[in-house]
Amino acid sequence: MKNRASVISGIAAIVFSFFVFVIPFLFIILMSFKDRQQASLRDFSWPNGFHLWDNLVAVVSTRNWMMVTAFINSSLITVVSVTLLIVLAAMVGFVLARRKAKWNGTIEFLILAGLMIPPAVVPTIWLLQGLKLFGTLHGMILIQVAYNLPFSIILYRAFIATIPRELDEAAIIDGARPLDVFFRVILPLLWPVTVTNIVVQSVGIFNDFTNPLYYLPGSSNATVQLTLYNFQSQFNTSYNLLFTNILLITIPPLIVFLFFNRQIVAGMTAGAVKG
Amino acid sequence: MTMIKRRALVGLTAGLLAMTGMVGIAYAQTSLTLFSPNDQAAVAYTEAMVAAFEAANPDIKVEIEVGPGGTERDNMVKSRLATGTMNDVFVYNTGSLFQAINPVQSTVDLSSEAYMSTILDSFKQTVTATDGTLHGVPYGQAMGGGVLYNKRIYEELGLSVPKTWDEFMANNAKIKEAGKAPVIQTFGDTWTSQLFFLADYYNIQAVEPDFAAKYTTNEAKYAGNVAAMGGFQKQADVYNAGYLNEDYGAAVLDDGLRMLAQGDGAHYPMLTFAVGTIAQNYPDLLNDVGYFGLPGNDAAKNGTTVWMPTALYISANSPNVEAAKKLVAFVASKEGGCDPWVELNAITGPFLIQGCELPASVPTAVSDLGAYFTAEGQTAPALEFLSPVKGPNLENITVEVGSGIRTPEDAAALYDEDVKKQAQQLGLPGW
Repeated sequence: MKNRASVISGIAAIVFSFFVFVIPFLFIILMSFKDRQQASLRDFSWPNGFHLWDNLVAVVSTRNWMMVTAFINSSLITVVSVTLLIVLAAMVGFVLARRKAKWNGTIEFLILAGLMIPPAVVPTIWLLQGLKLFGTLHGMILIQVAYNLPFSIILYRAFIATIPRELDEAAIIDGARPLDVFFRVILPLLWPVTVTNIVVQSVGIFNDFTNPLYYLPGSSNATVQLTLYNFQSQFNTSYNLLFTNILLITIPPLIVFLFFNRQIVAGMTAGAVKG
Repeated sequence: MTMIKRRALVGLTAGLLAMTGMVGIAYAQTSLTLFSPNDQAAVAYTEAMVAAFEAANPDIKVEIEVGPGGTERDNMVKSRLATGTMNDVFVYNTGSLFQAINPVQSTVDLSSEAYMSTILDSFKQTVTATDGTLHGVPYGQAMGGGVLYNKRIYEELGLSVPKTWDEFMANNAKIKEAGKAPVIQTFGDTWTSQLFFLADYYNIQAVEPDFAAKYTTNEAKYAGNVAAMGGFQKQADVYNAGYLNEDYGAAVLDDGLRMLAQGDGAHYPMLTFAVGTIAQNYPDLLNDVGYFGLPGNDAAKNGTTVWMPTALYISANSPNVEAAKKLVAFVASKEGGCDPWVELNAITGPFLIQGCELPASVPTAVSDLGAYFTAEGQTAPALEFLSPVKGPNLENITVEVGSGIRTPEDAAALYDEDVKKQAQQLGLPGW
C-alpha cells in the first residue's frame, strides 16, 4: 500500500519535473531549428526545415564575433572569481568557526548584512572609479567575489563546525604551521561544500546579467548574457536567433551540473544542517 | 611534492590575474565609443555609418557598444551620466525623456554648428534644452503613429480610408460582419496599448492648438476636456462594440503584426517602424499593409501624429569632443544620416535632414505616411515631444481602458494625477 503511494508520488514528481524543466528546454531546441518567420509565431510546432546551422553561424558571427569574446570574458570572470571565492570564504569560515573572539557577533552580522542589503549601483561605480577598476574585468571579478562572499562563508562556516578540532591539534603537534593546517588538513576535508560552492556560484556568476550590464561597459567587455541583447530589442526580436543564443549559453552551466550533479545535494545538506 | 603543488596553485592564480590584466588597455589613436540602440535595423545602420565615417576620417576609430531600449536604457543612460562613465557619443530619446537627463549639464551644446540649419525645425524643438540650446541630431527617421490597415480586406469589402471616427466605426462594423477582427490590440506588450491615446494628439491640437503649452504649465487637463479625452474614448468605443481580436489581452506586437499582414485583422494602431518587422517576417505581404492617421471628428481637419526619431548626443564628460563633433556632423549630413538607411532598405518614415529624399520604392505604409508630410499642416508631433510631461503609468491606464476595466472619464482623472508627480520632479512652474 505504502509502496504504491510512493510509486504514484514518484511518477507525479517525474511528470512535474518534465513539465517544469524538460518542456522549456525542448522549446528552446525546437525554436533554434526554425527560420525567422516560423519562430516569430512562438508556438510548439515542428520546424519547417533545418535552420540550426544558419542560426548558429549568424549568432556566433554577429557584431564581429561578439559571442567568442563574450565566452572568453565570462569564463575568465567565472573561473577567477569562483577560485577567489572558495579560498577566501573557506579561510573566513575556518577562522570564524575555530576562533571565538568577542567581535565574532559583529562579523557575523556584517556577513548577514551582505546577504540582506541590496548593493546600490551608483556608489559602487564611484568606488570602482576611485580604484581605477571601473570597466575592467578585475573590477567585475572583485564585484562578483564581494557580492557572493557572504553566501559562501555561511556554507563553509557551518560545515567546518562539524570537523573535529582534534584534527587541527594533531596537525599542530606534528609541527604544521597555521597555513599548513588550513591548506593541507582542512581544505581537502571541505570538498563536499567546495563542490556545492563551485556549482552554485559558477552557474550564478556565469549567468549574471545585471551586474555586467552596469559595471562592465564597453563592447570588448561583453559577457554571455549580454549577447542576448543582439537579438532582442524593444521593437524587433529575432526569436530564432534569440533561442539559438540561449541554447549556446545554456550548455556550459548544463555541463557543470552533469559533472557535479551527485555531489551537489550531499554538499548542500552537509553545509546546512548545523549552525 | 606538496611544495610544488602549492607553487603551482600560486602560479595558476597569478596567471589568471595576469590574463585579466591584458584586456582593456587604452588606445593610441583618437578613439570614440558610441552607445547605440540594439534594434537590428539601427545596429546595421550604425555599423554602415561608422564604416563610412572611418573611411573618411582615418585618424578616428569608433567603437560601437550596443545597449537595450526602453526603461532599461533609461536606467543605463542615467546611471552612466550620473557617474561620468557615459560613452563619448550616445543615442537616446528626444522629447520628454531628453529633458529628464538634464541635457544642459550632461551633454554638449551643438547650437552653433553649421549643420543645424539643415535639420528640420520640427525635430529641433525636441532636442532643445530648457535654456534654448540644441543638443542632438536625428538618428533615424520620423515615424507616423496611427492605424496600420490591411489593404486586401479594404479592397474585398469595398471600403475607403476613413476620414472621421464615425466612418472608421462604420468600416469596423462591415469588417466584423465579414468575420474578421476589425481592431487588433496586443496588451501582452503593454506599451502598444498607448497608441490610441498618443496618436490622437493630432486631433486634440486641431481643436486646441495651444494644448501642449497649457498642459506644460498645468492650465490644461485631460479630465473634463472632451477633445483631450478622445483617445481614451476611442479605445473604450472599440472595446464596447466588441471589435477587438479575441486574444487582445495576451497577444504581443509580433502576433499583432502577423494578424495584420495575413489579413486576420484589419486595423492595428501602431507606429510605422513596425513596417520593418513585417518586411522581415512577411516580405510578400508587405505592400498589403497601408497607413492612415487616427481619424478625428472633422473630415476637414484630417492628419496624423508623428514621432521623432532618437537623437545622437555628445556626453559632456567626453575627453574627445572635437572628434565626437566630427562624427555628429557626419550623422547630420546626407552621406551619414540618410544614405546608409537607403542602402540598407530600412525606410520606415521620412528623413529630418534637408536634401534627403525618400527612394521611389518604399513600403506602401511609408508612402501613405509620406503623403501626410507633403500636404501642408497634416502632421503634428506627439505630445511627448512638445511637453516634458508624460506620466509613467500611462500604459497601465490604457490597458485598463482598452479592456473595459476603467471608463474614459475615470482614466483621464487618474492620468492627470499620474503626471503630477512627474511634473513636480522636473520642477516645472505651475505644478
